[in-house]
Amino acid sequence: MLAMNDRYAGALAMRSVPSAPLVGPFADRLLVHDLPGLDASRRRQVVAFTARRVDGLPSVMNLGVVLIAAVVRGLLVLPGSSVLVRFLSRTALPLLGEYVRLVRSLGYAYIWETWPDTLPDGSRP
Amino acid sequence: MTAPHRNGSSQAGIIAPATRLSTDVLVVGSGAGGATTAAILAEAGFDVLIVEEGPWVDQDTVAPFSLDQMDRQYRAGGVTVALGLPSIAYTEGRCAGGGTEVNSGLYFRPPVDVVERWRDDYRIDGLDLDELASIADEVEQAINVTLVPGKPTPASEMLRRGAASLGWKHSEIPRWMIYPPGGDARTGKRQSMTRTYLPRAFAAGARMVVECRVDRLTPRTGTVTEAAVTYTGGRQGTITCRHVFVCGGAIQSPALLQRSGLHRNIGRSLAVHPTVKLAARFADEVNVPDDVPVHQVKEFAPDLSFGGSASHAGLVALALTDHWREFKRAVTDWKRISVYYAAITSEGRGLVRAVPGLRDPLVTYRLTHRDRELLRSGLGRLALLMLEAGADEVYPSFRGAPVVRDRASLGEMQQRFGASKASVMTVHLCSTVPLGEHPGRCGANSFGRVHGAANVWVNDASLLPTAPGVNPQATVMAFAIRNARHFVDTHRAGRG
Repeated sequence: MLAMNDRYAGALAMRSVPSAPLVGPFADRLLVHDLPGLDASRRRQVVAFTARRVDGLPSVMNLGVVLIAAVVRGLLVLPGSSVLVRFLSRTALPLLGEYVRLVRSLGYAYIWETWPDTLPDGSRP
Repeated sequence: MTAPHRNGSSQAGIIAPATRLSTDVLVVGSGAGGATTAAILAEAGFDVLIVEEGPWVDQDTVAPFSLDQMDRQYRAGGVTVALGLPSIAYTEGRCAGGGTEVNSGLYFRPPVDVVERWRDDYRIDGLDLDELASIADEVEQAINVTLVPGKPTPASEMLRRGAASLGWKHSEIPRWMIYPPGGDARTGKRQSMTRTYLPRAFAAGARMVVECRVDRLTPRTGTVTEAAVTYTGGRQGTITCRHVFVCGGAIQSPALLQRSGLHRNIGRSLAVHPTVKLAARFADEVNVPDDVPVHQVKEFAPDLSFGGSASHAGLVALALTDHWREFKRAVTDWKRISVYYAAITSEGRGLVRAVPGLRDPLVTYRLTHRDRELLRSGLGRLALLMLEAGADEVYPSFRGAPVVRDRASLGEMQQRFGASKASVMTVHLCSTVPLGEHPGRCGANSFGRVHGAANVWVNDASLLPTAPGVNPQATVMAFAIRNARHFVDTHRAGRG
């Protein structure tokens, strides 16, 4: 009955891979780098929000972000990860740069919407 | 058939989820196209069932332009992107009323010159400009198109002031709002589809299911008799029908048609108005978090238009992230900052492709060289406009941008600009199923019936042959009403 459209049927039930274990560690490190004054409890909230939004991304984007996040997550466990985070925070490389921009954008939007009096280094006034 | 709960509220037509539903006309989507279609058909006596993927959210329960609104009323929390160099961020409403619940509410009549060009280039039969104008009159009354009483917001005033100082054409754009007596810009109630055309459709007997996604239509020998649906939570169902109007917007409509095996000229010609942004800081407080400016500057229209964006503290921070090291000190001044945009009419085009194995379509967009140059000059002129309006500092949204404090630094800004470094965004998505009789371009006929299907129509922004150069909602509504009335005239005779 569904004929040629069967190939889409399985896709419609597909769920995205939970991103928190992959995106979370990098989001956390990026926040520490960019906003050293942001306390740990706020940082946890921001990271959770970021992961939630990544989980809700449209399929293609979600897949791409999760793949890049997995690579970055793998690199973060190697020695010299602070240098890596510093490099990533400034990179303009395609894909990697977009990933960093996404994580940063989500985080900053959440921080200043939730706590609008946050100082530029992330600390409370 | 499940009867609607007639409780007299604006949600009177909402029915409970059911595994099997049947209707005469299935309307997929409840935005500017779907709600008007449903109202016209229900009032003409058709049995209408509207299926909406998102929830019904009462306006009074959500702060406009907030992250909460993005969570509840936007697809993917507002994080959707057309891939390209640069990728273009876009937003889609995903709630009862669709984009009309979340957009700026600014109203432009269908531009006559653009509609004439569409008629000629895409060979649209029976496109009567007087009829469209008459429909526009009717729409303006139905959604109460009006100017802001009293003073506009300070952020809007800055656009007016800058344009007046430069001698550039500008005007206040009317909105579909109702203001209380003695009210001002911040007290308006948006006359979106959940307050206008959906209640009208319900009053005429239309029913609606929410949080229900149409996965695919099942055409047999060119006629669709059934739609497969999935409710939020995973329950599946089917809806049998005699006719289908697909009104899910310029991304979801072509994706659904493709998943249903309908491909001819569908999803190949996405058109948008790409925009670049900047944040401008003034001496006094200008930020109004829950509203957008009503002035637009049209000196360089249709190529370039300038206007104001939502400017919650979070969105101000977002606008500063492209060069955070340079711009970050401004974030504590967010009350004195507002965000503005330069929008272009693009010659680029994009694709929407349903991908086997994935739930959502792949969306791509390619800017042309001319588009990139227009974005550069647009951002430069917008920065100039803000300086003339009295901005102390301007923060353009592209990687490595300088702070602009005076005319002398505009040249440096433009030199450093590259579209690939910019945060390019859009909210106006059109043209993925263009209407008309041009065999190489059009995915639907002159009244929206999809090629290759006898009883499937598209009736939303997908039909507009190009991006119209202005906020498209009024044009979408005018075409949707025209097409729905044509359907009524044709099928009333057919039904005897």
